[in-house]
Amino acid sequence: MTASPIIVAALALVLGLVVGAFIIATTTPTVLDAWRGMFHGWGGFPHALNVTFDNVGAAYRAIFTGSVVDPQGFWRSLTTGKGWPNTLTPISETLTYATPLVIVSIGVGIAFQTGLFNIGANGQAVIGGILGAVIGSMISLPTVLHVPLTLLGGVAGGMICGLVPGLLKAYTGAHEVIVTLMFNYVTYAFLLYAVLSTPYQQPGQENDIGRTLDPTAILAPLFGTKSGLRVSYGIFVAALVVVFAWWLLDRSSLGFDFRVTGANPSAARASGISAKRVIVVVFLISGGLAGLAGIVQVATTTHYIDGGFLIGSAGIGFTAITVALLGRNRPLGIVWASLLFAALDVGGRNMQASTGIPLDLATVIQCAIVLFVATPVMVKEIFRLKSTQTTGLHLSTTGWGT
Amino acid sequence: MSLVATQSAQNVATLVRNRRTRVIAVLMAIVALFTIFALGSTCRSSAHSVLTFTPINLVNAPWHLGSLTVLTRWTVIVLGLIELALAVEVWVREPRRAVMARFGIVAILFLLAVLFWAARSPGPSPIDFVNLTSILVGASATTMVLVYGSLSGVMCERSGVVNIAIEGQFIAGAFLGSIIASTTDNFYYAAIAGAVIGGVIGLLLAFFSLRYRSDQIIVGIVLVTALSSLSSYLNLQVFTPFPNFNTGNLAPNLPIPLLYKIPVLGPVFFNQSGFFYVMMILVGVVSFALFKTRYGLHVRAVGEHPRAAATVGIDVIRVRYINVVLGGAIAGLGGVAFMATQGQFQVGYTSGYGYIALAALIFGRWRPSGAVVASIIFGLSVYLSYNLVTYNVPISIYFLEMFPYLITIAVVAGLIGRVRPPAADGRPYERD
Amino acid sequence: MQLELRGITKRFGSLVANDHISITVEPGQIHSLLGENGAGKTTLMNVLFGLLSPDEGEIVINGLVTPIHDSGQAVRLGLGMVHQHFMLVPVFTVAENVVLGFEPTKSLNRIDYRRATDEIRDLSQRFKLEVDPEAIIENLPVGLQQRVEILKALSHDAELLILDEPTAVLTPQEIDALMEIMRSLAAAGKSILFITHKLKEVKAIADVITVIRQGHVVGTAEPTTSESELASMMVGREVQLTVQKSAFKPGDEVLQVRDLVVLDDRGLVAVNGVSLDVRAGEVLALAGVQGNGQTEFVEALVGMRHVESGSITLHGKDLTNVTPRHALDSGLGHVPEDRQRDGLVLTMSVADNLVLNTPRRAPFARRGTRNFAAVNQHAEQLVHDFDIRTTSIQAPCSSLSGGNQQKVIVARELSRPLEFLVASQPTRGLDVGSIEYVHRQIVENRNRGLGSLIVSSELDEVMALGDRIAVMYEGRIIGVVDSTATRESIGLMMAGTTMEAAGV
Repeated sequence: MTASPIIVAALALVLGLVVGAFIIATTTPTVLDAWRGMFHGWGGFPHALNVTFDNVGAAYRAIFTGSVVDPQGFWRSLTTGKGWPNTLTPISETLTYATPLVIVSIGVGIAFQTGLFNIGANGQAVIGGILGAVIGSMISLPTVLHVPLTLLGGVAGGMICGLVPGLLKAYTGAHEVIVTLMFNYVTYAFLLYAVLSTPYQQPGQENDIGRTLDPTAILAPLFGTKSGLRVSYGIFVAALVVVFAWWLLDRSSLGFDFRVTGANPSAARASGISAKRVIVVVFLISGGLAGLAGIVQVATTTHYIDGGFLIGSAGIGFTAITVALLGRNRPLGIVWASLLFAALDVGGRNMQASTGIPLDLATVIQCAIVLFVATPVMVKEIFRLKSTQTTGLHLSTTGWGT
Repeated sequence: MSLVATQSAQNVATLVRNRRTRVIAVLMAIVALFTIFALGSTCRSSAHSVLTFTPINLVNAPWHLGSLTVLTRWTVIVLGLIELALAVEVWVREPRRAVMARFGIVAILFLLAVLFWAARSPGPSPIDFVNLTSILVGASATTMVLVYGSLSGVMCERSGVVNIAIEGQFIAGAFLGSIIASTTDNFYYAAIAGAVIGGVIGLLLAFFSLRYRSDQIIVGIVLVTALSSLSSYLNLQVFTPFPNFNTGNLAPNLPIPLLYKIPVLGPVFFNQSGFFYVMMILVGVVSFALFKTRYGLHVRAVGEHPRAAATVGIDVIRVRYINVVLGGAIAGLGGVAFMATQGQFQVGYTSGYGYIALAALIFGRWRPSGAVVASIIFGLSVYLSYNLVTYNVPISIYFLEMFPYLITIAVVAGLIGRVRPPAADGRPYERD
Repeated sequence: MQLELRGITKRFGSLVANDHISITVEPGQIHSLLGENGAGKTTLMNVLFGLLSPDEGEIVINGLVTPIHDSGQAVRLGLGMVHQHFMLVPVFTVAENVVLGFEPTKSLNRIDYRRATDEIRDLSQRFKLEVDPEAIIENLPVGLQQRVEILKALSHDAELLILDEPTAVLTPQEIDALMEIMRSLAAAGKSILFITHKLKEVKAIADVITVIRQGHVVGTAEPTTSESELASMMVGREVQLTVQKSAFKPGDEVLQVRDLVVLDDRGLVAVNGVSLDVRAGEVLALAGVQGNGQTEFVEALVGMRHVESGSITLHGKDLTNVTPRHALDSGLGHVPEDRQRDGLVLTMSVADNLVLNTPRRAPFARRGTRNFAAVNQHAEQLVHDFDIRTTSIQAPCSSLSGGNQQKVIVARELSRPLEFLVASQPTRGLDVGSIEYVHRQIVENRNRGLGSLIVSSELDEVMALGDRIAVMYEGRIIGVVDSTATRESIGLMMAGTTMEAAGV
């Protein structure tokens, strides 16, 4: 069986789930007890296996029903024609989650294709979210103006944030990994400052909560608020971004410059491409998209920002890195990868609610998947596949070299 | 024949015009002017600050040294003038080496000036003294962790592998160390556990980078993300139901007889936890091993020109595996050290120190001695960013929190291009 | 040692790199392996040195069949390799490099540098390879670095020394010195396997010559064999050793360089006040051993390196310190020294590489969007005109041979309207067929009135192509001569002798 990248990705998914299963098994008390009981009699081993499968199965089933659909509910809705909103909620949630994720991952993917590591996408999303939310909550405008301006505010915030590592790399050669990582921490501090010490703080609140977006600034749900389905017009924003990325990378001269720079920086320079210009523009685009994702997230879900915005496992800027890698930095691949990872995140929430297993496990599974995708050779070895093309995760800039 | 010709080529007057040196000089000058005018002029001429040397914690106290009272305004202005002198020297002489060392000195003088200014009386601060010993002791905890991290970086990168996963090794070490220390009350076991888990993570990094030649930076970042999420997951699964696994015991200080009584230096160097002493020993061991032994020559050859090493029979991959695992173990140990001095494990409480350690590694030019100096500077800036709050300085606490990270960015931006990493750093080794 | 390679065969997929090669080297013999680039010499050496394992055949040392598994074992058996690209760590000292892997140690695994330096001094004196053990490699000139390579091999008690293209980076005088060293080593009983593609050297030093071509042994020859016969053995057909040129009819001045000063990466002066003029319809060959500033000079011309002082003018337009974009757009063509690093993006298609430096120019793009039809049409045309062998214009450039890759670059440059061509080491690493092709292209364009600057460290190429020859030494132009100058005088100038002393 030959291995195309799609098959490798699918198998990597399987392996990732196996890793997740292993972690569940080793850290759930009931499962551990069952395995300990294995030594007490011949029935112990099958019992332990049963318990393991039950727990892991429950967890994964929860992930699936939470993110895609509950088969029973689906059947009921088909036959009785009722209860559609409930049945469609999981998919709607997955799409809602995927929307900002696609946007930021495409930004990260564009940077990767140029050989630049934008690890600061999370921080850019935070600043973009804040700037967009400020416009969306502190200025009054009719919807037709308010929504675009709010989104533009997000883009602008992200661009400003991306400009720092971009300029530093272009003009001093500072390695963007450290600069963007450090800048993330700067943005977290700024977030707390913004929601606690500035007029942006929710009036009348002592806690770290910012103002709520005006109804004129949000991206409304496609099926109206009464349906309970959160999937919103944000999808069209994401679709536009995908089209933009495709045009940029495949059709435009600028994208050609980006790809040449990513593949061979020396040749890029010798053939007239200005490295400085490319670096700055890429960070502007990547940062801008991350900022857009930040405000889209706010405008389609909570409608306000608090001190925990994009922190930890919820940090779409970090998920974006794994998504971009899984999608091989290409727009279409990123869409699929975003849907998959959004499903894992949304499903993870359901898993936490119904089985108590923390949803951080979903992130761990995502990382495992990416590591397996990063090493197609290894996946092929495990499954004994013949290789068509072996390309691991390579970016042409290596180490600290400029 | 040509040997002589080369010597003369090197003696030719070099027309070095380095724009970046001038930018650094301008930055130093800005800092100096800020010190003189913004800090110096806002104190009243009668304001004074007190510099004390006795630590707050009087257990195992050193010999008492009286306090030093200075006129704030003049002290600050003098410090500012020294900073300005250094800035001018850099601008005019454009030295090729040690520019960032001068920048580091300016940074330290600036911090000192800020402290004196913050602690002035009469002034807005409730405290009117600067306890040098407390500050140095407080900063030493962070510095120790940064030294562990940058030593790990030295081990890995000198053999040619970039280890971005130091932050993840800190987290893992702190987590596992907390469990072991809380259950056995024995920090030796915790240290071993931390080193082992750090080594295992290093093994993973080496495995993916060396065998499958994935990009080392990406593998590192994915590992850190995975470990960070895993720690959050385990925190909820393990520590929340069983808080006795995470008691937050601190490692006891082990004062060295007689030496701990030396003022200022005593509490800082000779009255610390075992982890601190181990750190100092490790610095010496790593330096010795890298630059004096056969093993060290092999490591450095592999990091600079792996092909040359291979042609004399050195197993490049094996050397890299060993070093990355050892480096990982050191970082894991650093994580335990962090937990042993900071207390109870909390998600995210390593706050990016693993990345600052990388900046310290670069600042220190991939040498253990340099990494120590850099870690001291960064450690001080981190500690002070928290400490300054107690003086009621008119800067928002959130901006103070940003300070160490901004310093790291400034250092990295100023340094790249003037330092040479090991030539093969980060590049996968291809066998024929 | 007596070394015998019996029937060594090595395949890479369908390509047979070594086809039943058999060679015997006797003790104290200087045995030359002659073959053009791509003939299979490097593969054979990798097999001998344990870096590759042969599919068939065996290695016999002093009568014993000895399979070799890795370099360490090869070294222990007494094989010493002096690589073409030195296996020296630039930041280490001579001593550290020589003892690497075989370090004398004291207690605690410490390296005993005193014993090491003593041993080096001893070897230096015995074989007349004087070098300072404390010197840092990257500060040494290339000739001395090569001595360190040789010392390294000798310190491992090598009985057979393999020298792989050792003269590429040496001045003619250094080459003579190397030959003296080889003779004295042979006299001391060492065997030498001398790998090269240079006919004159082979005739000067070898006791026996084995010619290989396309992976198999064509035959053995005596050093008294004529050059043209050796060349046709190497290539398999009658080889034209000179290029046909029409009469020299230079036009107006095209390129003017005045008092150019350029620094290298370490901040030292690499180009020290160079002035040149090139006219239309003229080929100015810039001769000189690599490392005398030619690389930095070319980089300054094409905008890739900062000019400290001086000026560059092209048809009256000032091109000092412009961006590469500006230089290219002003009509400067550039065939870079390192084609894989600076000239091509190997992962991209042939078609994309053929428009690499003009992707935005009409008709290849319009207002930011690329026009694939125009790009592909252009590519088809060039592949046909320049006889580029590729499976398709969409194939990645990495699938092309070295010669065809160079053709892509040459095609790209010569197919746009050029005012001037700069080509740096244009035939390095190419087989004879490709070399002939590139030379023909350069001369044809010269006949049609294009001015060009060809930088080359190959004396033959310089003399064949150059209407005038400028010799660069330590950052300065030592002299400019015309095509009547002799090899000897140019060789002397390449080593620093002034024109008067060289008898020009």
